[in-house]
Amino acid sequence: MELRVSPRVYRLLLLAYPADFRREYGSQMTQVFRDCCRQQVQQAGTLGLLRVWFQALRDLVQTVPYEHLDNFGKENSVMNNLRRDLVAAVVCFAIVLMAFLTLRYARANQVGSLLLFGYALDAIVVTGLIGNLIVFILARVTRFNQLRTAFWTFLIINAVPALILALIGGRIDPQFNLGGVLIGYVVSFLFWYGVHWIRTQKDRRQIEA
Amino acid sequence: MAKKTAQSSNQLRPESFLPLTPAMFHVLLALADKERHGYEIMQEVQERTAGSVRLGPGTLYGSIKRMLSDGLIEESDDRPDPELDDERRRYYRLSDFGYRVARAESQRLANLVSSARAKKLLSRTGGV
Repeated sequence: MELRVSPRVYRLLLLAYPADFRREYGSQMTQVFRDCCRQQVQQAGTLGLLRVWFQALRDLVQTVPYEHLDNFGKENSVMNNLRRDLVAAVVCFAIVLMAFLTLRYARANQVGSLLLFGYALDAIVVTGLIGNLIVFILARVTRFNQLRTAFWTFLIINAVPALILALIGGRIDPQFNLGGVLIGYVVSFLFWYGVHWIRTQKDRRQIEA
Repeated sequence: MAKKTAQSSNQLRPESFLPLTPAMFHVLLALADKERHGYEIMQEVQERTAGSVRLGPGTLYGSIKRMLSDGLIEESDDRPDPELDDERRRYYRLSDFGYRVARAESQRLANLVSSARAKKLLSRTGGV
């Protein structure tokens, strides 16, 4: 039982290492840890397993800061990714804020030309807040391709409310404009996916340069 | 400062890598006679030092990462018979440059031991 659980727990602890290091050596380290556990359990039972855990934790505490320091400043290091993601998050937040303020101004002052974009702006504000938060979190905790993550996140985030509004919007509001809502969510999807596509292209050019 | 890489290690003097960390030297010693995978390296170090040195997985693979990057060791393409061993394991071996670095570090340590003997800190038989 412990022999199955311990390597899994150890693999989770490896998240403390830089992603590059973990990708390259994580499975090997887990395998070595599993071998150590097996040998110690055979020799000394639970006490042996505790000894392996004590040594592994001490080793983890000693080597994690060193690997992060060693990785500092390299391409794709934690700090470089964090800086890039924070810039992207600030840009996304600024776009959402501008869209929200423009829409508010247009509604308060009955600016017809701006109200034409109201549906799209509504969708951009709502899906931008939720979608970018999800993309940001997924980029930090998973290894998924970021552009693909943005595609599926914004597809789902736009499709779900569009579908719900299409089903119940007419019952709630007799003047409900289904066409406007659907166009709004399509524009919102294209807008946010486009923002992420541009960002990915920019990153790729930087890496190639 | 120029980064020491596997590509440029041939132009570097082995002495420029000294002193090695204890973990790196132990890994080089473990690979001096044959290629080994990570767990085998750990076991060899533990047996050779009668249990006084135990490399944890983080220390071991951190050292391996740096030594691969510096060209001191290489990953072996040869895989054992899958029936005899797990084919997912990665085997490492000493490079020619790693062998020269290991010799240089051994010589440095031997000189230190000679100095300790001259100062009568160590007897001829090695005892204190």
